[in-house]
Amino acid sequence: MGKRILMIEDNEDNRRILRDLLTSKGYDVIEAEDGIDGVSAAETFRPDLILMDIQLPGIDGYEATRRIKANSESWKIPIIVVTSYALSGDDVKAFEAGCDAYVAKPFSPRDILSKIREYLP
Amino acid sequence: MRTRGTLFRKYVIVLIAFIGGMLIARGMMELYMSYRDNKAAMLRLQREKATGAALRIEHFIRQIEWQVRWASRPIFMAQEQVAEQRRLDFLWLLRQAPSISEVSYLDGKGREQLRVSRLGIDEVRSQKDHSADPKFLHAMKAHIYFSPVYFFKKSEPYMTLALKWQGPSAGVSVAELNLKLVWDVVSQIKAGRKGYAYVVDAGGTLIAHPDISLVLQKTDLSRLPQVREALVNLQKPGEDAIEAGIGQDLRGDLVLAGSAPIALLGWSVLVEQPVSEAFAPLYDSIIGTLAILLVGLCMSVAASLFLARKIVQPIQALHAGAARIGTGALDHRIEVRTGDELELLANEFNAMTARLQESHANLEQKVEARTRELTEALKKLKALWEVGQALSSTLNLEAVLTTIVTRAVQLSGTAGGVVYEYIEARQEFHPRVTHQMEEELFEAVRGTPIRLGEAAIGRAAVIRAPFQVSDILDDHDYGATHLRPILVRLGYRSLLAVPLLREERILGGLVVWCREPCKFSTEVVNLLQTFATQSVMAMENARLFREVEEKGRDLETASKHKSQFLANMSHELRTPLNAILGYTELILDNIYGDVSEKVRDVLARLEQSGRHLLALINDVLDLSKIEAGQLTLSLSEYSMHDVVQTVFTGVEALAAEKGLVLKTTVVSDLPTGYGDERRLNQVLLNLVGNAIKFTEAGEVDIEAKAFDTAFLVVVSDTGPGIPPPDQAKIFEEFHQVDSTSTRKKGGTGLGLSISKRIVEMHGGRIWVDSTPGKGSVFSFTIPFRTERPRGWHGQADSDDRGQ
Repeated sequence: MGKRILMIEDNEDNRRILRDLLTSKGYDVIEAEDGIDGVSAAETFRPDLILMDIQLPGIDGYEATRRIKANSESWKIPIIVVTSYALSGDDVKAFEAGCDAYVAKPFSPRDILSKIREYLP
Repeated sequence: MRTRGTLFRKYVIVLIAFIGGMLIARGMMELYMSYRDNKAAMLRLQREKATGAALRIEHFIRQIEWQVRWASRPIFMAQEQVAEQRRLDFLWLLRQAPSISEVSYLDGKGREQLRVSRLGIDEVRSQKDHSADPKFLHAMKAHIYFSPVYFFKKSEPYMTLALKWQGPSAGVSVAELNLKLVWDVVSQIKAGRKGYAYVVDAGGTLIAHPDISLVLQKTDLSRLPQVREALVNLQKPGEDAIEAGIGQDLRGDLVLAGSAPIALLGWSVLVEQPVSEAFAPLYDSIIGTLAILLVGLCMSVAASLFLARKIVQPIQALHAGAARIGTGALDHRIEVRTGDELELLANEFNAMTARLQESHANLEQKVEARTRELTEALKKLKALWEVGQALSSTLNLEAVLTTIVTRAVQLSGTAGGVVYEYIEARQEFHPRVTHQMEEELFEAVRGTPIRLGEAAIGRAAVIRAPFQVSDILDDHDYGATHLRPILVRLGYRSLLAVPLLREERILGGLVVWCREPCKFSTEVVNLLQTFATQSVMAMENARLFREVEEKGRDLETASKHKSQFLANMSHELRTPLNAILGYTELILDNIYGDVSEKVRDVLARLEQSGRHLLALINDVLDLSKIEAGQLTLSLSEYSMHDVVQTVFTGVEALAAEKGLVLKTTVVSDLPTGYGDERRLNQVLLNLVGNAIKFTEAGEVDIEAKAFDTAFLVVVSDTGPGIPPPDQAKIFEEFHQVDSTSTRKKGGTGLGLSISKRIVEMHGGRIWVDSTPGKGSVFSFTIPFRTERPRGWHGQADSDDRGQ
């Protein structure tokens, strides 16, 4: 029984890359394409970890993170935020929203994997 | 002024000293002479009195002597008769000489033979022995003897006269003499009211004095100076008496005393008078003299004052006049009417002042004229300055033109003015701003605009020069038929129009008018032209500003669009690139199964190119954000040591791969910095990355230390170096020393440019020192504490999140 990872990402390619990577490493992957879906999926599926993109249609990644962290059911789930090219302030904003870790785009699958393994040993 | 009156005082003092001195000397001399004469006269008088008394006394004594001598004559009779005769003779003597109170006869042996007295009975042959009596002894020796005075009954002065008879065995007659007569003589002598006479004997003892008590006391007066003198004179008979004249009485008061000797008796008669009385007339004379002296002195003072005033007054008048003229009262004239050189001097002075006044007046006129001109010029200058001020301080064309037309009307002295704007398309002049333009006139020019070629401004515009209408009534070509009657009705007769031209293009016109028919002077025309030029400038300014503003707005929008576009673009570029890199990595990591070595090699190159492209996109995005002022620093505390360490860790592998030595030297006690740590990382990483990239062999050193109030970070390498001409350019965008190397080294050519911006945003400086062939040294400073940089917008970056 693999660990369950919720991936909230609107870009098809990114989803596929992460899905291929994580599935091949034995994780269960649940996908959401926007913030609203992501927040409800987090509540519904209770994943072991969430990979959160920032630029999302509807509510953005910061807001989604805040909502998940505000929910008593899902607040314990570690969230790794994936931002676009990191500019000053992005990391601060992400941490302020309540995320646990932070990976800058363009991400390297290897980096993401090592970051995930920090939370899901 | 302190010196005023000094001359006067000097004159007065000299004159008083001179006249007063003479008066005083003269008075003193007179006084002295008067005193001397007076004293001599008084003395003479007193001496004469004394001499008179002395003579009388001597005469009296002589007479008595003679009578006694007669009574003592030898009697040639019988012995018995002789005695009787002698008695009769003595009786006769008593009868003849009342002063003799008793007379007696002593024989040669001193025995009293006869005594006849008025008081007692006659005694004959009493045989009383008087042989030892001094009167007998002295008389026998000197034939005559005067005894000292003695007093009978303590009141009557007596003296004994002893006379030796003549012939052998002769006796001595002794007469007791009452000296009352001497008394009477002395008492009768009067010298003034208080003067008196007295007699002293050879020893200085008082013999006779009006005050009997003094005599009875046998007062010794020899100590009194006048008595001493008298006694001296007594001893030198025949010589001229020497008398000082001034002595003292018994009370010590000063007296004037004259004396005369009675040689026979060795007595002296003195007549004395108190000095106060004796000199009373002298005192009167002194007082008189003093009064005269005083009067004389007063007169001399008055005369001195008068004279001094007379002398000094004109000098003072000269002085005061000169002082007044000196203070600028040039109309003042000095009044001196002395008829001498002083008057001449005053006249010369007055003449000089008159000339001075004249030239002064000329000068004043000139100054006044110049001042007027200056004021005019200043007014113009001020007006022009105001206009210039308006021109430069405001872009409100209306306000500037209003200032211009107001000043133009004021300075040209005209009644009103207007600035027209020329509408080229319709060849019409429209009023833009006015000054003192009647409503009716304004409505007329607005309702029916003046056309090119008509009225003053229309014609001025045609000839491209100022045009004036000297008298509107005579101007048959005026043209604007609707305006002319209004102008005439309002009382305006002449107009001056100046066209507003810009390079022969008509922009408008400036027109002023006045009530009198007149020809405007060149000066006014020039002035109006100046204002016209300024109006043109104002219009041009306004136009240019309008254009710039519009362009600026366009530019701003364009810039915004560009930044937005770049941000969007880079995001859009990055998303597929992300996929490319991601898939490549997954394939390389055998996620999709094993791949052959050949494919793996191709994929590695694909990944490298993708990363290069990504770096390029990131740099372009950075730069565009910097240019758009959207790059902000995220300020926080940081450790420079950590910055160096992070970069070192990041490039360590890269350096090792190329076989380069990578060294760091960080001063241990660097202060904590305040700035954007990640941006500083970026800068240092860029410099170190470049160094490693371009250096083929040798080493790369990173050094960080504190310098004043900033960090100094130095990155040196042993690379190819940078030729001097390129050293300044390498911080420009898209510049690399050798553009072919860019591709080879995988650089974007933007790193240094971005680094420079970041350093400058921190308030620091970046520069390079390089020797081609030896290596390069890049250095930058970062202040310990970075203040909020300029261009801080405070809002979050949003572009990098684009759509």
